[in-house]
Order: sequence, then structure tokens, then C-alpha cells
Amino acid sequence: MATPSAARLAAVFVRTGNLTFGGGDPTMAALQRELVDRRGWLTAEQYGLIFALARITPGTNVLAFCAGAGWRIAGAAGAVVAVLGASAPSAVVAVWLLSVYQTAAANVWAAAGMNGVAAAVAGLMVAGAWLLIRPHLRDGNGWRTLLTAGMAFGLSAGLGWPPVPILGAAAALGWIWKEEGR
Amino acid sequence: MNAGLIYLLLLKASVTSFSGLSSLPVVRSDFVVKRKVITDRQLNTAVAVARMTPGPLGLYLVLVGHQAGGVAGAAAGFAAMITPAFAAIGLLRYAGQRAEQPEVRGVVRAVTLAGAGLLLATAIPFARDAIGTVASAAIAAAAFAALAFTKTDTAWVIAGAAVAGIATRSVL
Repeated sequence: MATPSAARLAAVFVRTGNLTFGGGDPTMAALQRELVDRRGWLTAEQYGLIFALARITPGTNVLAFCAGAGWRIAGAAGAVVAVLGASAPSAVVAVWLLSVYQTAAANVWAAAGMNGVAAAVAGLMVAGAWLLIRPHLRDGNGWRTLLTAGMAFGLSAGLGWPPVPILGAAAALGWIWKEEGR
Repeated sequence: MNAGLIYLLLLKASVTSFSGLSSLPVVRSDFVVKRKVITDRQLNTAVAVARMTPGPLGLYLVLVGHQAGGVAGAAAGFAAMITPAFAAIGLLRYAGQRAEQPEVRGVVRAVTLAGAGLLLATAIPFARDAIGTVASAAIAAAAFAALAFTKTDTAWVIAGAAVAGIATRSVL
């Protein structure tokens, strides 16, 4: 396979990364279609490995996926093009939207809408936690799952521990206490 | 707030999380609780606007940077958001085979679950700030149900919540 030009690579990541709602998973699914099925720039095996590694890379998973895929397709320059292409335009749009949002707050009706959105965000955060926990309840590690998440919740909400030591303790626990049923 | 400090604080949040909003507790701890450069409501707004924007959920880091330090802060937030992504190249080159090791899987799993517990703890002050009426509690519950049990796009959930907020004001 010939290495695609930076412009062609950027076009794919700009379009897919900035026009897909719903976060990382829908974007990575759309990129699978573009990179594997339509263009053949990655094999299914390469896609699978990069997808798995993106999951264990700290930070925003979809950007780690873009870095890995861009690097595999076109080297270091490809990684930079892919990450910037997938994130820079939407970052500019987000900052613009934030200014619109803040300006609109002076209007009583807009403020009422924003109060509704603020309440929804609280619900979305709880749902986000549930979606992180749910898959692990189903694979034979239910009580370990609840213990780990519950410990972090209790240390933070109950004892006021800062997050980083809690995450460090969880990492040590995960290293020592290996998974079952795998 | 200095852009360099914003970068380092947001980078710390980014590298200690593995998915979605799990960096939020660290961001809140540094920017709302310790340094008081933004409020819970501003952090809530950053999350809401990022949810309305197509692209990665981590975009809220850019908005927190903007709230704390203007355009330079937004650039710092953007840099903090993308910096950890390049670690994937190192993993791809040197550690591809180790991704399936039980110890590595165990660490990722435990950190992800702890992140979920921390996210729940962080939701408490958000809820205190945003939920003060039966109507707002109903909106929060509906948003939870929509994301947890259906495939509804979060942009529609946010839009629906805004409409519900306006409707509530017009009725009351």
C-alpha cells in the first residue's frame, strides 16, 4: 500500500473526528470503516491492536487511537496530522460555543435552558460512571468491581482524599489482584 | 492563571485517566477546590459545551483552560489533551504484546473502576449546585436514564434538557 499524502490523511481524520457526535467509540467505529474497509490503509489486525492499545493509553482514548493509526499509516508526521486533524477544529468550535453560551446566560430564557442543561450534566456524570462499571459486573468479577469503585468513592466522598493517590492505590491493587475468568 | 501551570495541571488530570470524564475529579480538585480559579458551575458548563460539540469528550479540558486563562489557557488545555495520545506510539512500538498481560489488564481495569467511583463522588457537588427543584431532579434522572439505558446521542439529551428547562420556567 502506498503511503497516503498528509492532505489525504488529514481529510479523513478532520471529517471523521470532527463530525461524529457521541465521543470516542462512535468515532473509532467510523474510522474503522474509513481506514480499514474503504481505503485499506490499515488491516483489521492492525486496527484491533491499535484500538486495544488506545484503551490502555492514558488520556483521551480516541486521540491515542488517532496517534497510533496515523503513525502506523504515515510515521511520526502521520501521527501529528491525525491527532491535530481529529481535535483542533472541534476545539475551536467548542471555544466559540462556550463564548456563545456565556453571552446567552444574561437572557432569562437562555438561563432557564442552561439550568436544565446543568441538571442534565449531573445525571450524565452518574450515567458515565455506571457505563464504566457495568461491563465489569457481567464477567465474573462483580464484587471486585463494586469494591474497587466503592473504595474510590468512599475515600473521595467520605474521607476527602485527593484523586491521584486513590488512582495510584487502585493501580497497585489491580497489579497485585489479577483478574478471574479471563 | 499562568498557561504553563494550566498545562501541567490539566496534563496531570489527563494522564491519570483512561476514559470519558474520568479526569474530571482531578480537574475539580485542582481548579475548583484547591486553587478556586473556576466554580463548579463553570466546570459544569465546560462539560455541557464539550458534550454539545462533535469530537472527543476530552475537549472540556480546552474549555477549562479557557475559563482559567483565556486563549492562552485554551491552547494549554488543548496541548494537555493531546500530549498523552502520543504515548500510544511508544506502546505500539514496544509494548503491543504486553497489552494482554494479566497485570496490565488488572491495572487498567482497577484504575478505570476507581475513576468511575471518583466520578460518582464528583457528581455530588455538581448535583448540589444544579438540582434544587423537583423539575431539575426529573431532568437529571431523565438524562441519566437516556445515557445509561438507551443509545440516544448526548447532544440530543443536552438539547432536550435545555428545552425542558425553558418549559419549566414558562409553566412555573
